[in-house]
Amino acid sequence: MKTNNWIWAVWALVLLCYVVPYGFLTEVQSWSGSFIYWTITGVLVVVANLMITKDFGEEEA
Amino acid sequence: MSTSLIWWSVAIYLVIAIAIAVISRDGKANSMSGYFLGGRQMNGVLSALSYSATTYSAFMMVGLAGLTYKGGVGALGFEIVYFAGVSLVAVFGPKFWAVGKKFGYVTPSEMLGHRYQNKAVSVVAALASCLFLIPYAAVQLTGVGYLMSGMTDGAISFSTAVLIATVMALFFCYIAGIRSVVWTDSLQAVMMIVVSTIVALLVISELGGFDGLFTTLEQTKPETLSVPGSGLFSFWTFLGLTIPWFFFSLSNPQVSQRLFMPSSLKALRQMLLGFLVFGLIYTLVSVMWGFSAIVAFPDLAKADMATPALLSSDMVPPVLAVIVMIGIMAAAISTIDSIMLTLSSMVSRDVYANMNTNADDREQLAVGKLVIPVIALMAYAFAKLELSLIAVLSVAASSGLVVVVPALIGSFFWKRGTAAGALASILGTGILVLYIYATGGKLLGFSAGIWGLPVSTLLFVGVSLLTKAPVDVAEAFMAEANSAVKGKQSSAKGNARPAVV
Repeated sequence: MKTNNWIWAVWALVLLCYVVPYGFLTEVQSWSGSFIYWTITGVLVVVANLMITKDFGEEEA
Repeated sequence: MSTSLIWWSVAIYLVIAIAIAVISRDGKANSMSGYFLGGRQMNGVLSALSYSATTYSAFMMVGLAGLTYKGGVGALGFEIVYFAGVSLVAVFGPKFWAVGKKFGYVTPSEMLGHRYQNKAVSVVAALASCLFLIPYAAVQLTGVGYLMSGMTDGAISFSTAVLIATVMALFFCYIAGIRSVVWTDSLQAVMMIVVSTIVALLVISELGGFDGLFTTLEQTKPETLSVPGSGLFSFWTFLGLTIPWFFFSLSNPQVSQRLFMPSSLKALRQMLLGFLVFGLIYTLVSVMWGFSAIVAFPDLAKADMATPALLSSDMVPPVLAVIVMIGIMAAAISTIDSIMLTLSSMVSRDVYANMNTNADDREQLAVGKLVIPVIALMAYAFAKLELSLIAVLSVAASSGLVVVVPALIGSFFWKRGTAAGALASILGTGILVLYIYATGGKLLGFSAGIWGLPVSTLLFVGVSLLTKAPVDVAEAFMAEANSAVKGKQSSAKGNARPAVV
């Protein structure tokens, strides 16, 4: 995946933040439902940003 | 918990923070960019800590914990959407940074005025920011007031706590401008994250560990573990809360101005990644506090009292509880001082300097310093009104600030954007948002948070298409903005004051 394409991964994660908990996890009343889903999303957002900004500052003198 | 322990702790905190603020004075702070931007020479680690302390305020430990207490896990989702929105910094950060360096911008609204070649755009964007950010600053003060009066059973009154926080914020601004703010922010950020995490772990272990806590929740309040849960987080409420917060990193000038400050793109990256790691931990800690309070104190009258109730309980040793309390007060102060500094730079650079074109850099700085206490007084007055649910009020501010987002995004991506479009979008939507809040918070069944962005986008695009765009400036601006990440940075690193029109 190209570096700048990682931003699309973030937008997809954001969309899924609405779709999954409100569409599929409304009946899962346990920590293994929306709680863990949104927590994992948070971790993936950090990873995506790590990738997006990989080349920041490399060109500087 | 004894009142003298609290007063002593406040005093020790003040001494340490003041010492750090005074030490930070080294370096020049006698120009606009020196005082308000640290001379565009901020290092990555300090920037990350300060960005975190500025973004995360009393809202997290008091408001987000309270929101979790009231509405359950939806509060985590709301915060994670905001968190993902900070990725906008990865896209816009290098662009802000590059044009700021090239054209010498001090404020984001100044950038808009230059890009759209119209001083009125700067003035209107700056005034809109003041209108919505002063209540937001007041909300932070209210957080401190609730916390300290709640934890001491009123021995330290709401008013006294609010007054201490206001005076401290003023003081940190005055010592060395953004430098003292960044250094004290960093101290506060480290304190906030370390102590709140320790206390969260302590409370969770008292409540039977992670397993025990969630098992109790599953058995006694299962609705708190899903959305819409008890009903607070209906889909439309969730959407209305999250849309403005998603754009927080662009719409709030006290954080978007930070994009002008890093010394290099590498420092900007460190700022972003450092913030994200900090933010994720802090979010989870705050939400776990809320969950712990549901189990430990299921019948609190006010959700915002969840954190004070936990801290004054037997589960937390008094010394740790006081340190957390100071940490939360520090969190509020670190947000307020940045807001005060940013707003005063906007009033002097975008309003005063555009009204009085002879004002040189020195005069602008003098005016900026005069405006700081005026803004502090206004925030103090709002805070004394003691409005109830902190989180919802902060979101009202975010719905208002989101009106500048289409003009900001357009400045980097759409050559056809015009000053008339930007003005219509900021003014038209600003008035609409105010109207919605003034008439009960909903229009046709939808909250201001849902109306703001589509209306401002439509106005920006529609009016821009009917008017003539400053294409030459747009091209130069966008070329510069794109140069940073492509490595084609212009060799001319002038710091010239941008000429409008």
